[in-house]
Amino acid sequence: MIIGENIHKSFGDLEVLKGVDLHVKPQEVVVLVGVSGSGKSTLLRCFNFLEMINEGKITIDGHTVNPKKDNLTKIRAEVGMVFQHFNLFPHKTVLENVIEAPITVKKMKKEQAKKLGMELLKKVGLEDKAGVYPSKLSGGQKQRVAIARSLAMQPKVMLFDEPTSALDPELVGEVLQVMKQLAEEGMTMVVVTHEMKFAKEVADRIIMIDEGRIIESADPKTFFENPKNERTKQFIQLVE
Amino acid sequence: MPEIFVTVYDVFMRTYPGFLEATVVTLQLTAIGVILGTVIGLIFALMKISGSKILQTIANIYITIIRGTPLIVQIMFLYFGIVELYTMSNFWAGAIALGVHNGAYIAEIFRGSIQGIDPGQREASLSLGMDRRQTMSRIVFPQALRRSIPPLGNQFIITLKDSSLVYIIGVAEIFSLGNREAAQSYQPFESFLVVALYYLVLVMIFTFLLRLYENKLDVDRA
Ligand SMILES: Nc1ncnc2c1ncn2[C@@H]1O[C@H](COP(=O)(O)OP(=O)(O)OP(=O)(O)O)[C@@H](O)[C@H]1O
Ligand SMILES: [Mg+2]
Repeated sequence: MIIGENIHKSFGDLEVLKGVDLHVKPQEVVVLVGVSGSGKSTLLRCFNFLEMINEGKITIDGHTVNPKKDNLTKIRAEVGMVFQHFNLFPHKTVLENVIEAPITVKKMKKEQAKKLGMELLKKVGLEDKAGVYPSKLSGGQKQRVAIARSLAMQPKVMLFDEPTSALDPELVGEVLQVMKQLAEEGMTMVVVTHEMKFAKEVADRIIMIDEGRIIESADPKTFFENPKNERTKQFIQLVE
Repeated sequence: MPEIFVTVYDVFMRTYPGFLEATVVTLQLTAIGVILGTVIGLIFALMKISGSKILQTIANIYITIIRGTPLIVQIMFLYFGIVELYTMSNFWAGAIALGVHNGAYIAEIFRGSIQGIDPGQREASLSLGMDRRQTMSRIVFPQALRRSIPPLGNQFIITLKDSSLVYIIGVAEIFSLGNREAAQSYQPFESFLVVALYYLVLVMIFTFLLRLYENKLDVDRA
């Protein structure tokens, strides 16, 4: 579904991704872990073309993206992204947040978009908040709206960058619950998270990134019980 | 009652019909100056954040010249410049000068508030498939505009007071009338006190309206 080959990304002199190969299959849930600064966010942002890679190839749903020729807005629309800090549009209500892109990008009729928006809000358990501004929501509610907003574009794959890291502990569960449900419905997902319980339960594969390289890629059981790399072992000790 | 109140009162009662007309002129100058300045300011703010070196340089030159020279010089310069090329009333020459002057300050207001919007807003919008233009016009700019309203209101008040400088090209606004009144009546102190009162009252009214509007925005958001 989403294939990265030999991805290199530098910021000035700092090489953050040093040749990453990652092949995410349709309906697969991949959890990305790694210490701070290892390049997890950068990798996700490259998959969504918020950052441009310096070298390598990205293929989404069978199409190898050529950033110079392709219409990147179209490709971004197919790749949903959920951010650590939600980034809801504060000047728009919850429903308006969700229907903004379908209306402006897909030129969907307002009535139809609203119907879709309400369905998605229902899915994340927030249909009663449709008319409310984001400032009135808890962090967990905001993130669930952000997920609904992303889903409204019917993306082929969803990227999550530490979706629960900015939340109070008691609000983490409701967001993970929504993500788990998405995974069960067959959504292809790449998730950066420190929630190891979620990784164990939901991930098909856990990938460890270290200093811009993938150093471990295994199913959760193998990853935790039988890691190959020394750094992975250290990381697991740290988080367990 | 002290003598001074009596004489100021006399001057006020004698001159208010003329001053009311002049107040309308002052308000027109201010309104045109701010509206034109907002249009110019928006264009130059977008040029400054455009990422095009040429557009940025043009915007920088404009802003540097306007901010680096006195308004009264700009008024004279534009007045003689424009009147050379087109026949135009002094009023319009003055209003345009105020607009061009304001444009530089308003450009900086817009630029500041656009750049003050969390980059995450832009990223979220782009990640949903909106293009750069849609992201600016539907997500970033509406938020920036709200932030611009208090400084724009401030700029409006500054313009109201600055409009007095177009007296130099003979536009019959409040200050120029007061100036004439002072010379003719041999009561300069009382005349300028009345002039000051007109400006003060206008500024207070606008400050009040601005505050009402800001409060309304806060309520809308909550
Ligand atoms: N826009 C940028 N300009 C310069 N350096 C950047 C930029 N974005 C990221 N970096 C650097 O790239 C490195 C990797 O950053 P990245 O955000 O991908 O790490 P991460 O694995 O997501 O870490 P964290 O767990 O803290 O979120 C860091 O050293 C960071 O400082
Ligand atoms: Mg990160």
